[in-house]
Amino acid sequence: MSTKGGTKTNAARAKPPTKVQAPKSPTHLNLFAYQVGFGDCFLLQFVYGDGDSDKRHVLIDFGTTGAPEADSGTLMRRIAEDIRDKCQGARLDVVVATHRHADHISGFATKANGKGSGDIIRALKPRLVLQPWTEDLALATDASGPTSKGIKASAGSIRTVSSLAAMTSLAEQVTRLAIERPNTLPPGLADRLEFLGRDNTKNLSAVENLAQMGQVGKSAYAYFGVQDPLEDLLPGVNTHVLGPPTVEQCSAIKKQRATDNDQFWHFHARGVATTNSINGNGTAPFDTAFVKAKKGKLPREARWAARHITNARGNQLLGIVTMLDKAMNNTSLILLFEVGGKRLLFPGDAQLENWSYALEQPGVAELLADVDLYKVGHHGSLNATPKSLWKGFRKRGKPEKTDRMTSVLSTMAGKHGSEGKKTEVPRKTLVDELKHDTHFHSTHEVPTSTLYSHVRIDF
Amino acid sequence: MVDIPAERLSPGPTGYRVKVVDFDAEAGVLYKAHSYQEDAEGRLVDAFSDQLQPAGSTLRKQSEDQLLANPMFHGQNVYALVMRTLARFEYALGRRVHWGFDGHQLHVAPHAFIDANAFYSREDRALMFGYFSAEHEPGHFVFTCLSHDIVVHETTHALLDGLREGFMNFSGPDQAAFHEGFSDVVALLSVFSFKEVVELALTRFKDGAGGVAIKSKGRSLIHRRALTASALADGALMGLAEEFGRALGGMRANALRRSVRIKPSRNLLHTPEFSEPHTRGEILAAAVMRTFLQIWLQRIEELGTFDDGYYNLTEVAAEGAKVADHLLTMSIRALDYCPPLDLEFGDYLAALLTADAEIAPDDKRYHYRDTVSKVFGSFGIEPPASRTDKRGCWTGFTQHPFIQYRRTNFESMLRDPEEVFRFIWENRDVLGVDERSYTQVVSVRPSIRIGPEGFLLRETICEYISRANIFGAELGTVCNVNPRPSGVDSNTALTVYGAGTLVFDQYGQLKYHIARQMNDGDWQRKRLEYLFGEPLEDNEVGNAFANLHRMRAHCASCNEQGKGSRASSKARTKGTQPASPPAGKRGGPA
Repeated sequence: MSTKGGTKTNAARAKPPTKVQAPKSPTHLNLFAYQVGFGDCFLLQFVYGDGDSDKRHVLIDFGTTGAPEADSGTLMRRIAEDIRDKCQGARLDVVVATHRHADHISGFATKANGKGSGDIIRALKPRLVLQPWTEDLALATDASGPTSKGIKASAGSIRTVSSLAAMTSLAEQVTRLAIERPNTLPPGLADRLEFLGRDNTKNLSAVENLAQMGQVGKSAYAYFGVQDPLEDLLPGVNTHVLGPPTVEQCSAIKKQRATDNDQFWHFHARGVATTNSINGNGTAPFDTAFVKAKKGKLPREARWAARHITNARGNQLLGIVTMLDKAMNNTSLILLFEVGGKRLLFPGDAQLENWSYALEQPGVAELLADVDLYKVGHHGSLNATPKSLWKGFRKRGKPEKTDRMTSVLSTMAGKHGSEGKKTEVPRKTLVDELKHDTHFHSTHEVPTSTLYSHVRIDF
Repeated sequence: MVDIPAERLSPGPTGYRVKVVDFDAEAGVLYKAHSYQEDAEGRLVDAFSDQLQPAGSTLRKQSEDQLLANPMFHGQNVYALVMRTLARFEYALGRRVHWGFDGHQLHVAPHAFIDANAFYSREDRALMFGYFSAEHEPGHFVFTCLSHDIVVHETTHALLDGLREGFMNFSGPDQAAFHEGFSDVVALLSVFSFKEVVELALTRFKDGAGGVAIKSKGRSLIHRRALTASALADGALMGLAEEFGRALGGMRANALRRSVRIKPSRNLLHTPEFSEPHTRGEILAAAVMRTFLQIWLQRIEELGTFDDGYYNLTEVAAEGAKVADHLLTMSIRALDYCPPLDLEFGDYLAALLTADAEIAPDDKRYHYRDTVSKVFGSFGIEPPASRTDKRGCWTGFTQHPFIQYRRTNFESMLRDPEEVFRFIWENRDVLGVDERSYTQVVSVRPSIRIGPEGFLLRETICEYISRANIFGAELGTVCNVNPRPSGVDSNTALTVYGAGTLVFDQYGQLKYHIARQMNDGDWQRKRLEYLFGEPLEDNEVGNAFANLHRMRAHCASCNEQGKGSRASSKARTKGTQPASPPAGKRGGPA
């Protein structure tokens, strides 16, 4: 197996290349969209022939949030077992972790007793683990290893990785605040902050398992325009990486680089940490002799304003965590599979700022215009399906349209955003359009007794 | 020490326009407030001035630390700065100025939460100031409510919202940036009224050739080396900038520093770097500050010198204060001559020139208007040619033979929106107000101004806004937009606007009609194309100003590290409902 742009091989453990005989191109795709609650988990089964071994498997994300831990643990294990069964007789060829949000990778976590859902996936020995360049541990400031070919360990990219670390630390502080001091927040906000905080908290076990799987097989870190990282693993399939852009690509066009400002995120992490420390241990800004009254016993002239100040403070926190969440989403891999004249688009949670780089590059809009299958971005939030992308899809249309496109959505209502602000996920107006203009499949319409929604695409 | 209009204060301090409520949502406590006493002559006693030891005293530092550790002092400081800014606006406009919400008292929370941010919130009728822990001093905090430029900046947002409520709505790129840029302008120019601070900044100039300040015969003198254009920009202004920005550790964009650094270029407004509201406003501030520097320089040159090219330091600072004061008055008065919505920087320039020409017809002495025109032009800001005269001032309203004054009562027109609406309705044809749209008078404000020569100017300023709900197919007939912008289908539902500012003279005759006509095709097209983009904004970001300031902080901390990037999100400029700004307060249309 050759080492191409964006991939690296662990020299000590590298195995001789193995090529399984298979027809040149798949005949069809079985897509299993697992019902993970609020999260993503897609198993792509490219079928090349009738035998069990004539299949190639790509697992794109495996995560959930919002469900109680015990329930989600059981659910994720069942899903992992199902993935194992589906790969029976063949292999799990590729694991893709589009970005580090818990709702995309929590299933990769392992357990000390070896019975975690991540243990089951690891036992399948994926040949390649594909992640965005921002997850390349060699870019961490304390790392000294070689970096992936094609990614410069520039000050910008190292800072981006440092920013991600600061963002994770901020998320941890916000989660702690929401859990330990919910009564200091306006009604309902603690739950939302905790949800967003947890989703952005580093899932160490999952991250380590992804790294270890990458060491056993291969690991690759991709960015816009990198040479097809799956070329040897998926015959007849051309995989385009459309995002995320690198720091250098982005700065060339002076577009947003919301993730590369480590000072900003470190600063806010320290701010929320200060908030947590103010709780009862005497680090408040003024001597207690200056305190007139505590919340709950305020004089009447201060009550209205105090309520509004409390709400404003909650919104400040929500604003910063939302900004963080969005920045993390924008590290998502955007993959476009081109096979048998059909195009399958998996953009993870990429939001507009990530998309905008790809959409401005020559030929990309044309490439995307003929998409046949669209994995709806970011669980159906409005900002993850840019209008220009959606309007550019030529195969949208009424049910009678002959080559009408298919859309697949993995989501759970009531977890993210708010209807009042028109930010609820999935966004109702988007779902209506998807239903109207595509063959629409959604995990949140799958009965809870069913593990997945199955979609077949013939090539 | 800051002087403000006298009033009887309740604890808070709570006065007739400001109510300080020192509730800290982070700690969940309300801090004590000071009870103000009056002396025998009815003047308020400043309890804190006695506590401060004189400069040079060995106890000075200790007394300062004690004051800074006292939240009641913070409350008084922020109250005084807000009231001073309000008084400055009322002086310039010659009338009482309202806040942008229903109510008389603006709530001020000096220690609202932990964040290097402060903002105005119309919904909360409040200014909220954050505080945060100092980076290298555990247990020490930095308070935004103690920063002069931040308090003035936030107060200006509240005042501007009271004067032009339409400026907070989604519209073109300039309007989104104007609130921020204008608030910077007021904060920056206000600094120069503190002459001692300016003197100190001037004397700190360094060029490697020794000190520039000396004492001679009891006078403080400063060498002309420190008073060249570049020296004033790099020395005095940057010195002040460092002073004001230092406490915030780079986490809030330092307006003064950035504005001085932006070099003029006619293309700046078209570059991606300045297309976002949180950066675009800095161009406005840069244009005003460059104007200020030029005129200050010119006035310094007219001062006499002592031996070896030394100038009287006090006089140099005093000249700076005069220029800043004049420009600040102009800048505030210009608001009365702005259209009610979709303000562009070119409109504001025309308003600036008109406001000054009305009250000071003779510009020959210091050439304020010439300099403003030239400097703004160097930043690519020009008055709209078709609606202004050769000086760049708004074209006056030509008395039309069919204009009807007879059916309206002049006395009522000075204050009554109903009477003004009657005037508009009677004259809708002449004024070009679409009768099939819904039109509303949103403000009627009489003003009396005194010019530099003691000249008195009486005017009444009125704003009206028209709106119509149309489909894309009607854009041609209603708005003169043909063909439709891409993305607007024939059945796309749109709300479109027209608006105008009417300025009546002391005889009740219409002097200016500064209009955004609903059938102005070029304007409507430009606005629609800007608004009809991606559904970009994430409504979760909360308060618009809080977000804008956060983006500036984000941007600033990039630059602080020399990264040169301008990370940004599309701030709240574009709505999912194109051309349909959210309803204003009080159910108003703008």
